[in-house]
Amino acid sequence: MSESRIDGYANAMFEVARAEGTLDEVEDELFRFGRSFESNEGLRDTLTDDGIPVERRQAIVEDLLGPNATATTTQLVSMVVAAGRGRDLPAIIDSLVARASSAKDLEVAEVRSAVELTDDQQDRLRAALANATGKQLNLKVIVDPTVLGGLVATVGDTVIDGTVRTRIDQLKSRL
Amino acid sequence: MTAANEAMNGFVAVEDPSQTHHWLWPEGYELLFGVPATLLVFGLLYWKAWPVIKQGMAARTQRVQDELDEATKARGDAEAEAARIREALGDIETERSRILADADVQAEATLVDGRQRLDAETAEMESKAASDLEAAASRSGDELRSEIVRLSSAVIDRVVVESVDDTAHQELIEAYISKVGAGAGVRNDV
Repeated sequence: MSESRIDGYANAMFEVARAEGTLDEVEDELFRFGRSFESNEGLRDTLTDDGIPVERRQAIVEDLLGPNATATTTQLVSMVVAAGRGRDLPAIIDSLVARASSAKDLEVAEVRSAVELTDDQQDRLRAALANATGKQLNLKVIVDPTVLGGLVATVGDTVIDGTVRTRIDQLKSRL
Repeated sequence: MTAANEAMNGFVAVEDPSQTHHWLWPEGYELLFGVPATLLVFGLLYWKAWPVIKQGMAARTQRVQDELDEATKARGDAEAEAARIREALGDIETERSRILADADVQAEATLVDGRQRLDAETAEMESKAASDLEAAASRSGDELRSEIVRLSSAVIDRVVVESVDDTAHQELIEAYISKVGAGAGVRNDV
C-alpha cells in the first residue's frame, strides 16, 4: 500500500480515537496489537487471508481484542481488516503512534524486554532515555523473550542495545 | 570377219546418231573441249589441292618422326630406370640394416622417455595425494572447529536461558537504566 494511503488510514484512526477521548489507550493497545500481529505468523496469515470471509476475520479480531481492549481499538482494527488492509496494519499503527506522539511533541521510543517492566522502571527508563537522547519520549515497551535478558531501545535511528541476546551473538562471532 | 564387223559398226554409227564411231575414243570435236577442260581441272587441283596434300604429308611424316623420337627416349628412360632398380636392389640389404638400426635407436629412446614420464607422473600423483591428504586433514579440522562452535553456541544459549532468572532480569534492567541514564549505553546507529 502506498505511504499516503497508510497515512490516510492512520490519520482517520487518530481522529476517531481523539474524538472518542481515548487516544492514549487506543494508541497503546494498537501498538501492542501491532507487535503481536508482526510476531504471530498464524494471526497474520488468518487476518490477511482473502479466502476467509470478512465476517469471520472480524469475529476473530473481536474475540482477541474484545475482553482486553477498548471498543474503539477493536472497531478500528476490525475496520482495517474488513477493508482488506490487514497486511498494512503494522505500518498503519506505527504511523498512528508517530502521529499521536508528534501531537504531544514526543518521539516514540520502542523498548524490547524479556519481561514486563514495572511502572516505576518505565518512568526511570523514560527519564534515562530522554537524558541520553535529549528528546521527550513516548515509551512503548514490547515483551520479547528472544532478547533473553536486558533491554534494547530504539529512538528514531538510534539503537541503545543492552540485551543478553546481543552479548551472546558477539561471543559467537568471536568464537 | 572382225574387220568386216568393225566396218559395219562404223558404218552403222555414222548412220545411227545414238552410236559413237568408236567404243573407246570420243568424237573429235569432243576432244576440242574435253582436253582443255581436263587440263584446267588438273591445273586447279595442282594449284589449290596439292599444297594442302603436301602439307598434310609433311605433318604426318613429322608426327611419325616425333613418335619414333619419343619411343627412343622412352626406351632410354626405361633402361636408366632398370639400371637404377638394379642398383637399388643391390643396396637393399644395406638399407634394411640401416632401418633396423634406426628402429633400435628409436625404440631405446622411446623406452627411456616413457620411463622418465612414468617417473614424473608417479611423483606428481604422490605429491597430489599428499596435498589432498593435507587438505582433507585441514578440512576435518575446520569442520571439527565449526561443530565445536555450533555446540558451544547451543550450550551458551541453554545455559544463559536457564541461568537468567527473574532476579537476573531485574538486575539487567536496572543496570541498563543506570548506564543509559549515565550516558554509557551501547549505541548503534541504524
